[in-house]
Amino acid sequence: MSDTSLAPVRRAMPGHAACVSPPPGRWRLSTGRYSLLVERRALVVGLLLLAALVAASLAYLALGSERLALGGVVRALAGEGDPIALFLIHELRLPRLAAAWLTGAAFALAGCLMQTLARNRLATPGIIGIDNGATAFAVASVVGLGVSLAPPAMALAGGATAAAITFGLASGGDTRGYRFIVAGIGIGAVFGAVTQLLLARVDIDTANAAYPWTVGSLNARSGNAVAVLATGFAAGLPLALVLARSLTLMRFSDAVSRGLGVRLKRRRWQVLTLSVLITALAVAVAGPVGMVGLIGPEIARSLSSPRGVPLLASALAGALVMVLADLAGRLLLAPIELPVGLVTAVVGGPWLLWILIRPACRSAS
Amino acid sequence: MVDIVAARHSPRRPAGRVRAMLVLVLLVALAALASLLLGAGEVGPERALAALAGHGDAEARFVVASLRGPRTLVGMAVGLALGVAGALLQAVSRNPLAEPGLLGVSAGAAFAVAVALWLGASAATLRIAVAQVGALAGCLAVLAVVRVRGMGRDPVRLVLAGAAFSALLGSLTSLLLLFDQRSADEIRFWVVGSLAGRRLDDLLAVLPSLAVALTITVLVARPLAALALGERVASGLGHRPGRVRLLVIVVVALLVGAATAIAGPIAFVGLVVPFAARALAGPDIRRTLWLCLPLGPLMVLVADVISRLVVAPSELPIGVLTALVGAPVLVAVVRARRLPTL
Repeated sequence: MSDTSLAPVRRAMPGHAACVSPPPGRWRLSTGRYSLLVERRALVVGLLLLAALVAASLAYLALGSERLALGGVVRALAGEGDPIALFLIHELRLPRLAAAWLTGAAFALAGCLMQTLARNRLATPGIIGIDNGATAFAVASVVGLGVSLAPPAMALAGGATAAAITFGLASGGDTRGYRFIVAGIGIGAVFGAVTQLLLARVDIDTANAAYPWTVGSLNARSGNAVAVLATGFAAGLPLALVLARSLTLMRFSDAVSRGLGVRLKRRRWQVLTLSVLITALAVAVAGPVGMVGLIGPEIARSLSSPRGVPLLASALAGALVMVLADLAGRLLLAPIELPVGLVTAVVGGPWLLWILIRPACRSAS
Repeated sequence: MVDIVAARHSPRRPAGRVRAMLVLVLLVALAALASLLLGAGEVGPERALAALAGHGDAEARFVVASLRGPRTLVGMAVGLALGVAGALLQAVSRNPLAEPGLLGVSAGAAFAVAVALWLGASAATLRIAVAQVGALAGCLAVLAVVRVRGMGRDPVRLVLAGAAFSALLGSLTSLLLLFDQRSADEIRFWVVGSLAGRRLDDLLAVLPSLAVALTITVLVARPLAALALGERVASGLGHRPGRVRLLVIVVVALLVGAATAIAGPIAFVGLVVPFAARALAGPDIRRTLWLCLPLGPLMVLVADVISRLVVAPSELPIGVLTALVGAPVLVAVVRARRLPTL
């Protein structure tokens, strides 16, 4: 496994744990009965991504309509400096940066989970319609139609509905190949149309308030939804890492993974639930920024070793992509702000096309 | 084989086909009447009916003659163009899912118009030519992708690539709109796909290209049916596959460009209409094309009438309704164990 694997390693001989040498390319951290295998490459990749994320975040805080020097940013972060910089950093940019981190990491983590579950590289929640389902329900909540639940709860219901339909329609439970994806795109199109329908029913002011939902933007986020996402992500990430061991085995055929001791049915439900939950909470903050769920895991996979499922690296890469995309959206057409969903779509579209028509490309996974 | 099948069935079934055609034409007439009578505004069916009969108040007459009348005609033209274009594109790419809206042909047209407006153009006739060039580029991209190894044999993968291409062009179009406020105001209502506020001039401007396209379609239908048997058979029968394909692509570009120029990009019509036509008429492309003539206008008119009524007094983009009907059809086609091959 490429991330930290939390596997308990049986001692070969009682009292002689130190004699067992770790597999090549890994370090072992041992404390008493349990020991932790850390893959060297995963650690290096994780640290690299983290460093890039920190650098991007500093740029994110410094650049904008009002530029700050790097020293000013650091001073303001420490709580010193002039009041304007303090206001800019603490009231405006830092909350938005936190939202970008969380949503990016959440979308990418959910994407990686669902890709592994479906054994299909294209099966990210954004592509198979789960983002759109969550958005449709959340918009229904924002424009005040139907059930009066908070947007995150409605997004959860929508994401679960869309996931149920998409996976329910997968003929014979077969989620590999392109048919599953195209069916998912169709379902996403239906939910997209429902969103439009809901927006058209209400007066123009409410529709404008709900508009960022349709493209994906960090501009209209609510602090409440960010807090819910932070809680959900903090709970979901450890769960995902615990599942990492099974996920690594679930990439093989059903028979193989069963033979290696994975309780497939239960694990599938857990992974699907986790992925839908994280996606829906992220959609409730930023709308459907689906491409991050594709780009993040792609970057992580190209950097990490193919032995495992790079969950942690995906989350870090997703956060990095989101921060950079939102920064580009704020800077490119300076007075006008581009929605982050548009930036990721323009960047991710060619990438997706390349994956699809690359001559040597075989069916996904 | 198609000809043999047709020869075996045609003596027995011509009456049935004529009846089906008559029923469809009657339905189109009913839909057109509904489109004239119903609307989001204050003029209800009674007043509109009175205006149609020639007596009625000035407002009703104005609404029926200057707003709903042209809109109905434009809707029929758009439906006809999109339905025929879908059937042709599916026949030439041998892919039952090849829909101009899904594969990026409409998106190419819309993107070309957005670029032209951004560069400063504004004349209506120019818009049509630009949209047709964009649609042609989109068609050629589709054919180029079909040539990529493995792509031509997997219809679903082609659609996937097309959907990604469409989405990319769509985001680039929105980007251009954000970039330039003037063109944004000019085409924001257009870029989502709608028939609202279309005038008779818009229709007249695209009539020549529609006429040319349909004429070529009539000429090319027979070779296209032969092409369904395979390239060698078609060559053996004296047709030239390369030329037929090129002509069909030009026709599709003319039709989709014209429809997109007046109504904006509307997806799924080119999927649902040929799908229904094939279900009624069987695999022969010529019969499919005949049935597309009434089915296309029928679908667009019905969708347009509903789009006016559900959220009255405001209106819905027509693409929303075609997506609500078309996406389930797409899912159903994809889920079928064996994709029907063309």
